[in-house]
Amino acid sequence: MASIEFLILFLVGAGIIAYLLTKLNTIVGSIFTIFTVMFVFVSLAQYGFGMDIITTVKILPGISFSQSYLGFYFAILIVFIYLMVSFFHPYFIDKYKYKDSYNLLFLLSLAGILGAFYTNNFLNLFFFFEIIIWTTMFLIPQGKSKEAAVSYFGFSLAGSVSLLLGVFVIFNSTGTFNINDSLALLSGNSAVLVFALFLIAAFAKLGAFPLHIWLPITHGNAPDPFSPVLSGALVKLGGFIAVLALIKITPATVMFRAMDIPIGHYLVAILGGLTIVFGTLMAIKEDDAKKLLAYSSMSHGGYILVAFSILNSMAFAGGFYHILAHALASAGAFMAIAAVSRVTGTTKIKELGGMIHKMPITYLAYLIAIISMAGIPPMGGFISKWLIFQAVIDKGMVFVGVAVFFGSVGSFLYVFRPLAALFLGQEFTEYKHVKEAPILMLIPTFVLMGLNIYTGVFPAAFLKVINNIIVELGYTGITYTTYVISGNNGVLNPALISLVFVVGILIAFIIFILLKKSRKVELMDTYTAGNFIHDEHLFHYSTDFYAPLERLYEKQSHWMTTFYRALAEKVKELGKLGKYLFMSKSLSVTLLWIISIIIFLLWGEVL
Amino acid sequence: MILSIFIGISIALFGFVLQTSIGGINRKIIGRLQKRHGPRWYQEFIDIFKLLSKRSVSHGWIFDFGVIMALGGIIATAMFMPLTSTFLAFENYDNFFIFVYLLAVGMLGMAMSASGSGNPWASIGVMRALTTMLAYEVPFLIVVLTIVNLSGNSSLTEIMLYQQAAGNNIFLIALPLGGIVGFIALMGMLGKKPFETYIAPAEIASGPMVEYGGKQLGMLFILHEITIFIEVSLFVHLFLGGATNIFEFLFKYFIVYTVANLISNVNGRFKIDQVVKFFYKWPLLMAVTQAIIAIYFGWVI
Repeated sequence: MASIEFLILFLVGAGIIAYLLTKLNTIVGSIFTIFTVMFVFVSLAQYGFGMDIITTVKILPGISFSQSYLGFYFAILIVFIYLMVSFFHPYFIDKYKYKDSYNLLFLLSLAGILGAFYTNNFLNLFFFFEIIIWTTMFLIPQGKSKEAAVSYFGFSLAGSVSLLLGVFVIFNSTGTFNINDSLALLSGNSAVLVFALFLIAAFAKLGAFPLHIWLPITHGNAPDPFSPVLSGALVKLGGFIAVLALIKITPATVMFRAMDIPIGHYLVAILGGLTIVFGTLMAIKEDDAKKLLAYSSMSHGGYILVAFSILNSMAFAGGFYHILAHALASAGAFMAIAAVSRVTGTTKIKELGGMIHKMPITYLAYLIAIISMAGIPPMGGFISKWLIFQAVIDKGMVFVGVAVFFGSVGSFLYVFRPLAALFLGQEFTEYKHVKEAPILMLIPTFVLMGLNIYTGVFPAAFLKVINNIIVELGYTGITYTTYVISGNNGVLNPALISLVFVVGILIAFIIFILLKKSRKVELMDTYTAGNFIHDEHLFHYSTDFYAPLERLYEKQSHWMTTFYRALAEKVKELGKLGKYLFMSKSLSVTLLWIISIIIFLLWGEVL
Repeated sequence: MILSIFIGISIALFGFVLQTSIGGINRKIIGRLQKRHGPRWYQEFIDIFKLLSKRSVSHGWIFDFGVIMALGGIIATAMFMPLTSTFLAFENYDNFFIFVYLLAVGMLGMAMSASGSGNPWASIGVMRALTTMLAYEVPFLIVVLTIVNLSGNSSLTEIMLYQQAAGNNIFLIALPLGGIVGFIALMGMLGKKPFETYIAPAEIASGPMVEYGGKQLGMLFILHEITIFIEVSLFVHLFLGGATNIFEFLFKYFIVYTVANLISNVNGRFKIDQVVKFFYKWPLLMAVTQAIIAIYFGWVI
């Protein structure tokens, strides 16, 4: 039997060992990390599904644990993403400045995650969140830029402070820090306040509009193997808080009769919709493959918010399934980009081309991941989007519907960009020497490919776990059989779709193979409209791919950046004022303080 | 199951033959409109089989794989399509979203293959195709949201039965604004003028298809015909009440396709950003208005 306390302490201990081993040899340290994460994953998977993990605490002071299907679902998913990513470490760590501590911080943040999802106390939750933030904050600047860490830390801190304030309000009105008890006891104004505060925290962690600005900066500049963790795993912490706020707290507010949704939840759904639209538009514009995927994470975060704000089990199932599908898809896509970045040293789309000829497996991994991301069958993303669409349509949420559909179609556009310009197109001479990723990096690639397909073909196994959570949250689970999911307005048989798809491909393949064989020609041997083109760079369409579309919202796309820059200026000015008032050596300021203190003292005397 | 799959395959084949013939007839109609004789009605069959028999060039495995994936995806989509309210391959599983998203597999395959050819004109064509898709899909899906919300089911046969039930009008009449949006979106889907920007034969050397020849092009022609079959059938089923027998279906299908084609032939072409602007102005506004008055106020004719 695995005890959660043991797992956390084990991770901390293993982290220290990993530090020492990495100091000696990075490869050994990284392989030790892989096995450590694997051990944690196996223990969780073995005992967690049956809720058999021991939660008693013997050593750690002031910390208490309990297990729930909700926490377990997030925990196992995130540990899985960590496991997949750890396979990349041996090939990447050498590039980083503080490579000794990389594995240590990686394992410590995992310990924080386990604690955060298994604790039953709000203060502990805050504590573990801080561990996650502080450890990851030192991992992120090892990538391209140090400012990324500042941005990440700033927004995460805003989220944590908001969470802490919410916790204080809860304690003030209920007298307990226990997560389930206190949330159930909340009522009246404090419920509304906590709802708002928790949602700010959730928005900050999830990178939802309007607190999204850190997401592309951080994801884009983090170390290549850490971006999948950020997008696939850490962002989902926001989803967890969103669940706490949206489902467990029910602030007494006005209901929208037409949609049968409380007004607060409807506002969150609208903000989720804005997140989707904003993320999609920015992703279409983005030139850096990692930033593009970061914006896509933002837009998927919007789907999660929309799903949890529609209060019925169909939508919850969609939301939880989307967390799973997006974690797998985004990890897959980020890891494919990381593999490309390892051999080429860049993630800029316009500097790359024709990688498919050298890295076909990486290409396939990316392809399958984006098919899932775009919500096309037979991948996991289709199931979750279908469930969310069902709920949105059933409630008749028109404006949210516009956003949801826009994001869904828009995702074809942005996921296709790296596919077309980075992997396909002309093959650049400078990348003719590169090789496919080594076997150890291909293991997680294959596993993720398989899971992306499996979640889209046989969702029943995952829906069973999700149904447990939904029942735990006090709703009735959705109806499904081995192959068929029943929605409010229709049934879906993913296995049948996949079968028919395979049949279709087979027919097409037979037609193709029966006809005359084609002659193979070079990529440069194409129609050039009569021009003689000698350089493949000139014959590769990748810069400003969607230029006509981008032009339509060029001016508006800087609004949020401008807003935050102005805000930063204001904060700086405030800081300058503070510095002038408190740190200044000038005589007049000192005199001002002396006089005002005397006035205050006298005022106290008089009163 | 095996029987259902065979029925599905025959529906796909039927769709191909139907659309290719009707496409041929339409070429004749357009010819008459422009005071020409027009080609024979089976000209499109001749074109396709000629292409399939020719030897072609290939730009690598993704170029071929994309074509196979595209055609496979489209055939799979067509296999789910009901012809009448009782005749379909997989009962209950003709969910609307399957069509929208399985169709996307085909599109993705084609786009992939076109970009894999390494020709920038093909990429430009793909870019335009995807942008057009972003334009027409959202208003169309909002109208479908209204339809599904009203009929309480997203299965195409159920939507058909709902419209055929006594007391209900077909959705083209019940939701007049939505019907107009649906038709405009259909024009976009079919790539008819004024929304044919991504093919734009005079401008970008036939868009995504620039590098193709021989069997690949032949397969893409087949794909194109089946795609049109799916899109027009969707319109017939969603807005015109579907059909109770096959002749009704053929009649409605012919009318819809011919009307779209006639409108197409008296129009010029939008630029790509004009397409986006257009769809996000009037059709979207009309779709949202229709959805609000139909869902929240219950004003359905």
